[in-house]
Amino acid sequence: MLLQIRELTKRIGPKTIVDGVTLSMDKGEILGLLGPNGAGKTTTIRMIVGLMARSGGQVQIEGIDPQEQFEQAMKHVGVIVENPDLYKYLSGYDNLIHFSRMTPGIPEGRIREIIALVGLEDRIHEKVAAYSLGMRQRLGLAVALVHKPSLLVLDEPTNGLDPAGIRQLRSHLKQLAHEEGVGIMISSHLMSEMEQMCDRVAILQRGKLVGVQKVGEMRDGDEALVEFEVDQPDLAVQLLQTIMTGHEIKADPPTVQLRLSKASIPEISRRLMEAGIQVYGVNVRKPTLEDKFMEMTGGEAQ
Amino acid sequence: MIALIRNENMKIYKRKRTWVMVAIALLYVLLQIVNLKSTDSHASNDWRIQLEQENVQLSKEAAEPDALKVEVIQAEKHRLLNEYHLDHNIPPGSHGGSFAVDQVRNILFASSLIAIILAGEIMAAEFVSGTIKLLLTRSASRTKIYLSKYFAILQFGLLLSAAAVVVSVLLGGFLFGFDDLFGYTLYVKDQMVHEAPTLLSLVAAYFLNLPFLLIAVTLAFMISAAFRSVTFSIVISLLLSVAGFVLSIAMEGWAWTKYFVFSQTDFTPFFYGNPSVEGVTAGFALVLIALHLAVMHLVSYPMFVKRDVV
Repeated sequence: MLLQIRELTKRIGPKTIVDGVTLSMDKGEILGLLGPNGAGKTTTIRMIVGLMARSGGQVQIEGIDPQEQFEQAMKHVGVIVENPDLYKYLSGYDNLIHFSRMTPGIPEGRIREIIALVGLEDRIHEKVAAYSLGMRQRLGLAVALVHKPSLLVLDEPTNGLDPAGIRQLRSHLKQLAHEEGVGIMISSHLMSEMEQMCDRVAILQRGKLVGVQKVGEMRDGDEALVEFEVDQPDLAVQLLQTIMTGHEIKADPPTVQLRLSKASIPEISRRLMEAGIQVYGVNVRKPTLEDKFMEMTGGEAQ
Repeated sequence: MIALIRNENMKIYKRKRTWVMVAIALLYVLLQIVNLKSTDSHASNDWRIQLEQENVQLSKEAAEPDALKVEVIQAEKHRLLNEYHLDHNIPPGSHGGSFAVDQVRNILFASSLIAIILAGEIMAAEFVSGTIKLLLTRSASRTKIYLSKYFAILQFGLLLSAAAVVVSVLLGGFLFGFDDLFGYTLYVKDQMVHEAPTLLSLVAAYFLNLPFLLIAVTLAFMISAAFRSVTFSIVISLLLSVAGFVLSIAMEGWAWTKYFVFSQTDFTPFFYGNPSVEGVTAGFALVLIALHLAVMHLVSYPMFVKRDVV
């Protein structure tokens, strides 16, 4: 297990900002922390990387508790917090040297390699003050990756990036996770972005973990909105009401919609056909992350 | 640890601003020398008469009932030195070497003020720019970060003041000749005038005045690390250091200055003179200074190490 968090809690005064969060993640996985502003995403991340002290609970990175063996644990971690704040009066290269010196044993070749990886060869010797936000983001990524961490932690990394920058970052991260086996934890409040990037999403609300959801996959037990395209919608509604009592059934000619689990779709379509209703199509409306989010958080506005 | 100090040095010396401040410190030295050159009184033939008159005047001043303690002390010193010149028939004069010895304290004071500006910023600026988040999430403990910054800024103060003293000596040498540097400097100890090799007393004066730099820089560093405010740190430490320096001169000889740390940051009296307050020993002054340093670090270190970075 790459990262294990148990009962992680942060209290500031009488307020509980993060409340008993338990989570774990593996190598090669992209885990998103999703939640409205003030849900405790940033605080959770800052406790994991040791920027904030925790009020309770445990964190283990590669089996090492950073509170006990900070240097050992942080060898495995690369961090980008928001827009990476680097030393503007130094060149990109000096910034990279600065942070790579902080982890012993990084060879010179690795620094050249990482510059090439983020595509900053041409401008690495310019002062960071002259960099665009996208370039700073790439330099931040280079700084976070130069010591080959197995866990990469990013807090709201796409704030202020343009769509091209976001897409580039996304492809970098996917490649890192799926080809090099880096575990990536990323926090954001942008749902569509998380849906495109993450393998799993942990949803936080008012400091509590309300659910962990795999992205882009519907399991057998999950209910989804299923649409049947039929020739006699009214008749279909009547029939469905008798066999699915208590379910909300909506007619939207030429379709009938109702919530079903995946397993019961064949059964329902067979019953429809047996009643002489022509079924032209069955359309499973996969729940978007947004639906899931609304379901889990009880529709709290973002 | 070495790597971390190298990082801090890179951040200090790769900024233009640092060099502007170094230039200001050296300009101060230059001004002192120019000032000296313009008031340089060549020993005239009647210097004996001048000194004798001066001594009569000094005795009168010291005897006045409203004379400050510092005036009495200075007058007495001055009178003894004049007598020494008269007795040994050495004409007085201001020369590069002995000038540098006298100026070491001022040069260290000026260098300390510059070092305060950098020390006030070295920690707080990381918080202001947000780089602290990257700095504290690498494989280096907060204790190491704290120490590396403290050492780097002390190193800067030492280098700057040493450079300023060297420049002062060189400039003095070019203007007044280098011979004097290998001569002797006079000092008064136990009501007696002594001679000391100029070069030795120069080096000694530098090291014996370092406690001031140490106190001033640590003060700025403490406020910087504890309160994360560049302005607050620089303004408070400059104010305290300047006030402390001025007070230590103006209040020289008063009994309460025994416990006033800025009155005890100059160690030269223990070797080349007499402590202005009775009962003060080098050991006492060392303990007093160590105590001040310890208290400052006891305030700032736990605050820095335990702080939640948001």
